[in-house]
Amino acid sequence: MDPTPLSLLKTEIKGLIVKELNLQGRDPATIEDDAPLFGAGLSLDSLDALQLAMSVEEKYGVRIPEGEEAHAIFASVSALAHHVATARATA
Amino acid sequence: MEDVRIWMTGAGLVTALGRNTRETWERLVGGERGFGPVDLFEVTGQRATIAASVRGIDLPDHSGGWSRTSVFAREAAEEALVEAGVSPKSARVGLVVGGTTGGMFETEARLAKLHAEPYTREGKKALSEMLTHPLTSTGDRLFECLGPFVCVRTICSACSSGANALVIGALWLLSGKVDAVLAGGSDGLCRLTFSGFNALAAMDPDPCRPFDRRRRGLSLGEGAGFVVLERASDARTRGRTPIAELAGWALAAEAHHITNPEPAGKVAAGVVRDALLRARISPAEVDYVNAHGTGTPLNDAMESAALRLALGEESHRIPVSSSKGQIGHTLGAAGAVEAILTALAVARGVLPPTIGLEEPDAACDLVHVMSAARPSHVRAALSNSFGFGGMDTVLVISQPDHGPPLEPSARKVVVTGASTLTPAGFLGARGSAALLAGPSRAARARPLDIEIESSLEAARARRLDRPARLGAMVAVRALDGDDTSQPNRAVAARPRVGAVFGTAFGSVDASAAFMHRLFDRGPRFASPAEFPNLVPSSPVGHVSIYLGLRGATLATADLATSGESAIVQAVELVAAGEADAIVAGSIEGASDIAERILVGLFARSSAEVDTPRAEGAAALVLEAQGHAEAREAHVLARIGEIHEWREGAELPLRSIRLSVNPSMARVILPRDHDGMGALLDDSPWRAVARLSLASSAGQHEGLGGIALAAGAGLLGEGDVQQVLIVGLAIGRGYALTLDAP
Repeated sequence: MDPTPLSLLKTEIKGLIVKELNLQGRDPATIEDDAPLFGAGLSLDSLDALQLAMSVEEKYGVRIPEGEEAHAIFASVSALAHHVATARATA
Repeated sequence: MEDVRIWMTGAGLVTALGRNTRETWERLVGGERGFGPVDLFEVTGQRATIAASVRGIDLPDHSGGWSRTSVFAREAAEEALVEAGVSPKSARVGLVVGGTTGGMFETEARLAKLHAEPYTREGKKALSEMLTHPLTSTGDRLFECLGPFVCVRTICSACSSGANALVIGALWLLSGKVDAVLAGGSDGLCRLTFSGFNALAAMDPDPCRPFDRRRRGLSLGEGAGFVVLERASDARTRGRTPIAELAGWALAAEAHHITNPEPAGKVAAGVVRDALLRARISPAEVDYVNAHGTGTPLNDAMESAALRLALGEESHRIPVSSSKGQIGHTLGAAGAVEAILTALAVARGVLPPTIGLEEPDAACDLVHVMSAARPSHVRAALSNSFGFGGMDTVLVISQPDHGPPLEPSARKVVVTGASTLTPAGFLGARGSAALLAGPSRAARARPLDIEIESSLEAARARRLDRPARLGAMVAVRALDGDDTSQPNRAVAARPRVGAVFGTAFGSVDASAAFMHRLFDRGPRFASPAEFPNLVPSSPVGHVSIYLGLRGATLATADLATSGESAIVQAVELVAAGEADAIVAGSIEGASDIAERILVGLFARSSAEVDTPRAEGAAALVLEAQGHAEAREAHVLARIGEIHEWREGAELPLRSIRLSVNPSMARVILPRDHDGMGALLDDSPWRAVARLSLASSAGQHEGLGGIALAAGAGLLGEGDVQQVLIVGLAIGRGYALTLDAP
């Protein structure tokens, strides 16, 4: 069982996004929990998704599946945090 | 100038299907595939575990400097020379080599060790074994065993490198610089590219399926392709029959994304159109397209869209195939290898198949040559090559004498902007001229004490690594000019403005860090975002994307004369009409590994050890004179004479004309060389004041670019009227004159 509360996980993931994707000058706190990560919102792209998937796997030991499933997981910080929390709880 | 036809009179291939052209072609049209389990290195845990490897290659004993890449190149180059009956020993032959990885396979394990434990005994041993296999090593090995060549160019534009090598060779023939060219590309498999494409999720676990609706990515291959090109008039005189004619070409940049193609294929379609225009051949005469066809979802859809856009109704008639389902994606070699396959299709009247394609994707609506080769008369054919960073090249290959000949052009080239980044600061043309005034106290600062991070737009620059940032900064400043009230940058938005930057070693330290993660953490943790920054053309690709430059874009490498090679390359492209303007120069990032290797190499010449290797960059805007005049650009200098030479050739200083009073001229030496004084004393330049740069700009391989920017700045100030820049490195040299506007 992982004791990290979801809110802390979201904060960590925002920090990870800013660091790994080199969003210089962006305050992680200004990333909204439910804003889309790709397309509109942060305007990240497929290369960012790969980098983020690798960093999440490295930091949390949670694998991000490929394809359609990944789209749902990367929908927002909330969705990603939820996936990480669930995957760790069932690990 | 006389109209010219360019004939391919010799070809050599090394691929997974065969160690020569005949064997590769027969097995290709026989539908065989060259894939097998990778046994060169560990691939456990990777998405794909197969590749199209070249079998039975032995590195020469005591293989000082011989990599697999260089061995492939030698075999293919020898075959091409023998078929053409051309000997570099008795003719003026030039050599152009395209590639991406050089000797990476031979050095990558040591790089990982160097990153992890640089100062241990093991680390030091790795360093002493390295002596590096820089990208230039293939050209150097070919020079030693097949040369001498009168000039040698090493280029990288990622997966279009091999095609661009043929384009540059053709330009040399059009301008009369050489009488024959040996041009091609070579790339060996290595862990870095394999795990990099794996990290990008770009590899199909099964042999790749170009244009198929179930395609899941590319399959890597390796090999080399070299051709001999010569003017048809010369080949006729020698009584040679050509394989085919190189009837036209075009190159451009998408300025879109470092790994993904521009999805609508508009830029690629423009390159297809421009190549046909250059050849003065219409789509109605095109009977075959050898596609880039990597098998990635994005490339094949984009390429199909581009072909439909460019060829219109004719795209419903013209058969298309991709050879990558048989020989894999040979990266820096692919453009040359596939140009040869295209030429053989023309010569033999057989269209090779697309093995792996069974169910064509609706998004790839083309006339595919599917599972079997078929006979067909081919009047003219296209060979497409698209590289990382959006560097697109299309070659038109036809029956000999099919279309009209090429019209050479020799446009005058001027310098309309310059900028440098050195320990003395981030300077425009005027400030750069002051670098020649004497030593700077800051010359030893490393890394540069300059606000690198904040001088570019943060959001757009987030993918740029340090070398790319250095390059983007000088490119912006050179385009803007010194008078910031009238920024010049609008010219960047014009379609035929490109970028050419030289770099000696590429991203050695970043490659070492990437390899260390691969060895230490495993392939799942190889960084997808880092990988595209490791190809030598990455900085220039980032510069093109950051500034929106869509003209001819590529990187050159030539050891300590990398800046000179890039600027000469850019002048050739502009003079030939391939671009209206090119931002060209040099970029050298700080590198602990490069510095330690160089110190090891030069440990006996004490002066160089005392000076730490600086980082720096320079850019000049090189523009066709007519283009500059039409937009009323401020001209700093005119490009005068250009000379380049290789080991064994006499330095041409005595023949370089001094056209002004010696007091109104300067000689600029990017670095000090023993004996240079005596050579200048024996030339028309004996009474001209000599200025040295190294004491104010630090020491690195890009000093030639800084010297040329400083020289242009000096002429722009109006204090002098002519400048000679002489850059020398081991076995090579360049001399350029700049004249007052």
